[in-house]
Amino acid sequence: MHTLKKTRLAIFVGLLPSLIIYVGVAILPIILSLYYSLFNWDGISAKVFIGLDNFGDIFQDDIFWLSVKNNVIIMLTGLIGQLPLGLLLALLLNRSLKGNGFFRTVGFIPVVISSVMVSLIWGMIYNTEYGFLNSVLGVIGLEGWQRNWLGDPDWSMLSISLAYIWQNCGLYMIIFLAALQNISSEVNEAAELDGATGLRKVILITIPMIRATILVTVIYSISNSFRVFDLIQILTGGGPAHQTEVMTIYMYNNAFLSRQFGYGSAVSILILLFSLIVVVIANRVGREKD
Amino acid sequence: MKRSNWMRISLSLVLAAVMVVVAACGNSKENGNEGSSNNGKSASGETITLTMMHPWTSPNVDNEVYKARIAAFEEQFPNIKIEQDGVAAAQYKTKLFTLATANNLADINVAWPGADLDPLVKGDLLMPLNDHMDSWNDLVREDALAGYNVDGNQLAIPTKRNFVDIIYYNKEYLAQVGYNEFPATYEEFIEMIKKLKEAGITPISLGNKEKWPLQSSYMSIIGQRFAGEDFLHKVMAGEAQLTDPEYVSAIAVIDELTKLEAFNIDANNMDSVQAQDYLIQGKAAMHISSATVDGRIRTTNEEGDKFGIALFPSVPGGLGDQKMAAGVPQFGIAIKNGLDEKKKAAAVEFMKFFVNEELYTDLAKAGILVPANVEMGDDISPYLKEMYELTSNGTAPVFDAVINTQAAKEFENGLQALTVGRGTPEEVAKDTQELIGQ
Repeated sequence: MHTLKKTRLAIFVGLLPSLIIYVGVAILPIILSLYYSLFNWDGISAKVFIGLDNFGDIFQDDIFWLSVKNNVIIMLTGLIGQLPLGLLLALLLNRSLKGNGFFRTVGFIPVVISSVMVSLIWGMIYNTEYGFLNSVLGVIGLEGWQRNWLGDPDWSMLSISLAYIWQNCGLYMIIFLAALQNISSEVNEAAELDGATGLRKVILITIPMIRATILVTVIYSISNSFRVFDLIQILTGGGPAHQTEVMTIYMYNNAFLSRQFGYGSAVSILILLFSLIVVVIANRVGREKD
Repeated sequence: MKRSNWMRISLSLVLAAVMVVVAACGNSKENGNEGSSNNGKSASGETITLTMMHPWTSPNVDNEVYKARIAAFEEQFPNIKIEQDGVAAAQYKTKLFTLATANNLADINVAWPGADLDPLVKGDLLMPLNDHMDSWNDLVREDALAGYNVDGNQLAIPTKRNFVDIIYYNKEYLAQVGYNEFPATYEEFIEMIKKLKEAGITPISLGNKEKWPLQSSYMSIIGQRFAGEDFLHKVMAGEAQLTDPEYVSAIAVIDELTKLEAFNIDANNMDSVQAQDYLIQGKAAMHISSATVDGRIRTTNEEGDKFGIALFPSVPGGLGDQKMAAGVPQFGIAIKNGLDEKKKAAAVEFMKFFVNEELYTDLAKAGILVPANVEMGDDISPYLKEMYELTSNGTAPVFDAVINTQAAKEFENGLQALTVGRGTPEEVAKDTQELIGQ
């Protein structure tokens, strides 16, 4: 008992530095945001206490709900686009393939380069006048398919989603690849002896074996989707006419451009709440099956 | 065993703490040394570092003049170092106000008048320059200084006069559809846009990704033409509303231009510099922007004489003076309030060197309008002369220099929505009006 107590203290002391940093950069700002969200405040003049009015205003703002909708689109894009694609790539690269290392690196590169670069690259691809996509469509005779990809409200969210998939699916590929390589060869051999090959093996053996990893990537993908900011900020800035605004951009525009720091803080609290709710639900759903 | 482990950990922790303290001490000693060694070199003592944040990053000619001026200062005053933080113009104001929020402004800042100055004044963040005005009272025009004078305190000295609403046009394209002169009335203007459209020429290049161009370069002057030059001030005073019919018809101009497909299709994905390029490269017949970009479009452009300048045409039944241009004394240089004595002296020194006659003459030579009474000489570029004449018929206010930021941002979004066929001019007016004065 005595020694255990001491060890605990040692653990605590060991954790202290990172704990202090974490409290300073994560917990404290959340508490402060919560505090600011109760005020009408332009950041410079005196704060005026208005209770929960900021939240009331937010819930009545159509643009906020539009941004929530876009967040949901991004989230689904992550879940339906990034994860299966990442798994598919991982399955392909898990075989003994020529140039395996090369393909793995290529797949992972988008994750490593900064998202500002990713955004600029996709901005060029989507450019109406000299963009890669429209040029390719022109060359293969599909002029009718050429679009103002980012400027047309009907297409802008789809275009952004595509870039978002490309940006992140390499990360899930690597995570899945690591999980696949952890499946013991006996299981695989046994499955093959029993006649399970191809898709059948993937669905019946591989996916159940990496269930835990899939759950982790689902949670990660969801929380990632609520943080998306730089990609959209650089590609469209939330435009045209709010059509591509997500909650983080809505928060940024209100806090930093319109200088409504109280209102912006309230939005950031809602972002936190919403992502917590979704993550908790996903966790529940994932666990029930266990 | 456990015990000795614990000892080891606490010992190493203490050691780490000691090292931090020692390192910190060493640092301060080093700083002291630096100061004293410099003492030997220059008579006035240690090196003072002043931070300066400015928006002079784009390829405009005036930006080069400003930066050369900073370099000249550093050369002449080797013991004052200017640490520059250049922030792209579109993000500059955002960063300025975010830093202001944290009471963390740079020592020297570039400020805008009106609605953009108000929060800085409210927070008491800028140092009044009243005691040092001898250097500028005779040099800088009074009406330009007034924009930065709040309650008798002069908070910044403007370095350039900018008009935001100059229409640059490609003479060849206009001639091609039968116009040797820029149309004088709105009907003719619309007629010309239709003809340009028929001829397969993009009538107007617009780079509205950053959303300010429609608000600043377009609506400042269109609003003035329809509703009068004092309308925006009346709105802020509660004597008029943006939903008044004359202002709604002003907003409807953007709607009409959109429906005529007057803008390039990718207007909302381009910034203003790219839109200028469209005009320069002959991909569009017109571009509406500030007087500053005349440097790029004509003064330093070999084919500059291809382009003409004009103001927005007169509108039928408009309440405003139909010859005015919308402008603002820009780039006010301001010192942060609450600097210590040494830094304050250095900052004032910098101001006196930076904002002097030479700066204004250099800017004028580069084709920039200045708010000062400087001798132009005979070698002044004909383009600048033309610009002076065009903008000499009175100044209308710029939208976001009068209207509070939150409402101005709503307005920008509403205008952008119009360009993609969402919303109506009435809705834009109503949504913006609701945020007036908040």
